[in-house]
Amino acid sequence: MTQSNVLTHSIDMNSLGRNESTLNLSNESICVEVKDLNLYYGNHKQALHNVNMLIPEKRVTAYIGPSGCGKSTLLRCFNRMNDLVDGVKIDGQILIDGSNIYDPGVNVADLRRRVGMVFQKPNPFPKSIYENVAYGLRLQGINNRRILDEVVEKSLRGAALWEEVKDRLHDNALGMSGGQQQRLVIARAIAIEPEILLLDEPASALDPISTLKIEELIHELKSDYTIVIVTHNMQQAARVSDYTAFMYLGELIEFGDTSTLFTNPTKKQTEDYITGRYG
Amino acid sequence: MNIQKSDHNSPVLSALNDPAIVRYRHWRMLKDKITRHAMTVGGISVIFAILLIFFYLLYVVFPLLVPASMQQSGQFVMPAGDAGKTLHIATEEKSQIAVRFTDQGRTIFFKTKDGSVIANHPLPLPTGVKITSFASSDASSRVVAFGLSDGKVLVVRHSYEITYPKDEAVITPRLEYPLGETPIVIDEKGNAVLQLALQIGEKANTLIAVTADHRLVIAGLIKQVSFIDESVTTEKTGGELALDPKDELSHLLLDKEQQTLYAVDSTGQLWHLDVADKTKPHVIEKLPVVEKGNKVTSLVFLASDISLLVGDNQGRITQWFPVRNKNNLMLLSKVREFHDQTAPITAIAVEERRKGFAAADNTGTVGIYHATAQRTLLVESVAKSSIAQLTMSPRADHMLAEDDKGQVHVMEVKNRHPEVSWASLWGKVWYESYPEPAYIWQSSSASNDFEPKFSLTPLAFGTFKAAFYAMLIAVPLSILGAVYTAYFMSSRMRRIVKPSIEVMEALPTVILGFLAGLWLAPVVELNLPGVFMLFLFMPLGTLTFAYVWKNLPESITYRVPEGWQAALLIPCILFCAWLAFFLSPHIEGWFFGGDMRHWLTHELGIGFDQRNALVVGIAMGLAVIPNIFSIAEDAIFSVPKHLTVGSLALGATPWQTMIRVVLLTASPGIFSALMIGMGRAVGETMIVLMATGNTPVLDFSIFQGLRTLSANIAVEMPESELHSTHYRVLFLAGFVLFMFTFFFNTLAEIIRQRLRRKYSSL
Repeated sequence: MTQSNVLTHSIDMNSLGRNESTLNLSNESICVEVKDLNLYYGNHKQALHNVNMLIPEKRVTAYIGPSGCGKSTLLRCFNRMNDLVDGVKIDGQILIDGSNIYDPGVNVADLRRRVGMVFQKPNPFPKSIYENVAYGLRLQGINNRRILDEVVEKSLRGAALWEEVKDRLHDNALGMSGGQQQRLVIARAIAIEPEILLLDEPASALDPISTLKIEELIHELKSDYTIVIVTHNMQQAARVSDYTAFMYLGELIEFGDTSTLFTNPTKKQTEDYITGRYG
Repeated sequence: MNIQKSDHNSPVLSALNDPAIVRYRHWRMLKDKITRHAMTVGGISVIFAILLIFFYLLYVVFPLLVPASMQQSGQFVMPAGDAGKTLHIATEEKSQIAVRFTDQGRTIFFKTKDGSVIANHPLPLPTGVKITSFASSDASSRVVAFGLSDGKVLVVRHSYEITYPKDEAVITPRLEYPLGETPIVIDEKGNAVLQLALQIGEKANTLIAVTADHRLVIAGLIKQVSFIDESVTTEKTGGELALDPKDELSHLLLDKEQQTLYAVDSTGQLWHLDVADKTKPHVIEKLPVVEKGNKVTSLVFLASDISLLVGDNQGRITQWFPVRNKNNLMLLSKVREFHDQTAPITAIAVEERRKGFAAADNTGTVGIYHATAQRTLLVESVAKSSIAQLTMSPRADHMLAEDDKGQVHVMEVKNRHPEVSWASLWGKVWYESYPEPAYIWQSSSASNDFEPKFSLTPLAFGTFKAAFYAMLIAVPLSILGAVYTAYFMSSRMRRIVKPSIEVMEALPTVILGFLAGLWLAPVVELNLPGVFMLFLFMPLGTLTFAYVWKNLPESITYRVPEGWQAALLIPCILFCAWLAFFLSPHIEGWFFGGDMRHWLTHELGIGFDQRNALVVGIAMGLAVIPNIFSIAEDAIFSVPKHLTVGSLALGATPWQTMIRVVLLTASPGIFSALMIGMGRAVGETMIVLMATGNTPVLDFSIFQGLRTLSANIAVEMPESELHSTHYRVLFLAGFVLFMFTFFFNTLAEIIRQRLRRKYSSL
């Protein structure tokens, strides 16, 4: 891992905008810092309003909120996937390891190698299992068979998939079940050793058993990666995350450590949401 | 059809049981059924229609494959058998009447049905003069000549007049004397004429004789029509060649042009003499035409008098014709050999209108052959003893054989398409007067003496050559265009570009062909360097422009919305085209001495046709581009977004994503696009018809024309005679084209299915 900003002072609450948080991140190293982030689709529709937050390193941070609240949009800002959407305008800053990823001259491909992402729907390439995992390395020009073999095994083990597929590494990945495919996609993402792993509702398309496996996997990956997860499922957020942020209508309403946010939210909107009044 | 009993008052359930709604549901089921059946019927009809085409083509082609057959239709004792030994038999066009000339000077006309004699004329010979030799001119002239013991020659023609007295054809045979009833003096010294050859032409006649005192005497008779009173006088020229008594020349043959004489000497050598100048005959060459110890037993011309057929006493028949050698001399070459009979050949009868012939041997066996196709069509026993005389009717549907027991056998021959064989369709064939075997398509010409050349190889080659050059131009443009349009272009621009290119597909190819042939071909010819520079400037200009654009300050590039940069290429490409054509004459002046075409021909030795593969490649490439573009673009565009996004999220650049994920996933679609383009290029007719020059040459050069199978059918079908060999070979060409497309489509489908199994994303 690269060095990160170690906050030696407690957080200045004003920098979190309107959020009155009881959050104390003084014991955490900070990996991502979001500063005054606004995002517009076209000229009129604003999807994110002045978001400020800190994401601690090697922890699981979850975003919850009703559909359309901007949580996935925010997640996609971390690796600039929003650039692919026509007419998106962003102002504000996102600092990863202290440097703004929206600075001109930032190499987007490099950024995305450092900030991996897993999508809602499993999206393995129509290639063999092996080639799927090796894909990210080959992109970087690593074609050494020995290294690839080693990384593929390590990543598949890391994604708790090795035992299931070790005998059919060269079969087409599309022949796997949905849960296996999603773990393969995670293996593919961690093969290039990103610092941050963004998970965009990774279990929403899966059956309960596969979901459980993914959740266990997130728990294990936490020791090596900073994980940011968007989920629809509050129980899931409660189970897997260390910190939880609640978003509503493009605003970050509340950010706190998970147990506090779920048991004792400071905002009424948060409480309404987690008790099921809307969502 | 109640769905369920309406126990309670649910509005939905009671509505479902409403009779109108029940009827609607019935109707719905019926529609479903009708549609299903209609689709089944439609699908089966399509397959049936294709099978029908397939079988119709086969049905027309099939007679080409039917082997020749022969059947005896009559056998009788030689008519007027006491009138002497037969010198020659011939039949008239309809094979109803035959004529027999005997060594006693009798001409006997008889019916071929039963051998009954119609007429028995004595020849007007002076008393005391005997017939010492006999010769026949080429079969179609029906002229024969008798050499007499007093050094004179009597020339006779047998002709037939058809009248219809009671609406029934009656054939009346007649004898004519084209040079008069009095024999002509050929040897002033009055020696007996031992061997004779002659040709009777419209203006010139030539008689050649070997006399008893060993001289070869030539007499040329040229008719002169007086300007004043149109009276005819005959001018006689002559010369002679002294022979060695040992030579014993026999089998004299004079060709129709009255230029070349062939003869065989006692040692089995063939003499090849030039008699163009009647006063100075001279020997060009003497060559052995049979193996040592064998004898020449028969020597005849194949139809049109170019090829010689030599039969020997081993049953071997060889074909020879003059071929120009390095020293520009026309010397005889052995072209092919048939050895399907084992007994000595006694007679060879040639077909009048085709390059076929029949040979009889001394065991009574007859073989039917075709020279060009190198086919032995049939070898069958006709008589129990040696056959002395054999003749083929003008239509080659009857054959008369006389055996040495005095029996005449009339054979009905079914031999419709001897010209076609696997070797003559696909292999190299040594055609008459060609220096070497070659692949030639030349189905007909003005002259009857023409040897049809039915090689499909240059046509199949032309088909693939045209398709190759068209694909060479179409594939890079359409695939790269499809990739850009589907993957990089803004969706608004794509909505303009894609339909515009697809509309090009509707452009009638006849217009493209017309423009290519009449406008593009001369433009290309005049700006040859420009056209080639265009191929160079276009990609280079595009790349340079892209590079410059990338390095422009953002304040300028920012003004062009993402995905619209391609529009800026339009002036760039126009400029490249203008530059190429502007520079063309200068380049031509500096490097090619002012005329690239001339330079190609004289410096590089590359022939240049105005209508060539380059023009076809451009025109047909343009026609094929919309096909390939449209399907390939769809395939690339329908690569799921989540794959590209997944790849980009792993740190891939857009280019890497395109190469490694998008093209891979779209590969089945791109492949079908290519195959459909290829199929169109192979089957395309109008463009190649109008822009290729239709020269069936076997030359891969981009500057040479070509002829495709499809264009060949379009060009020649209207002029081919119904049910002739030519007609059926054209259908065969169609069948071959059908098989090509069938084969390639099947192959493409198999490959596509495999690709799809491997790379489809869903």
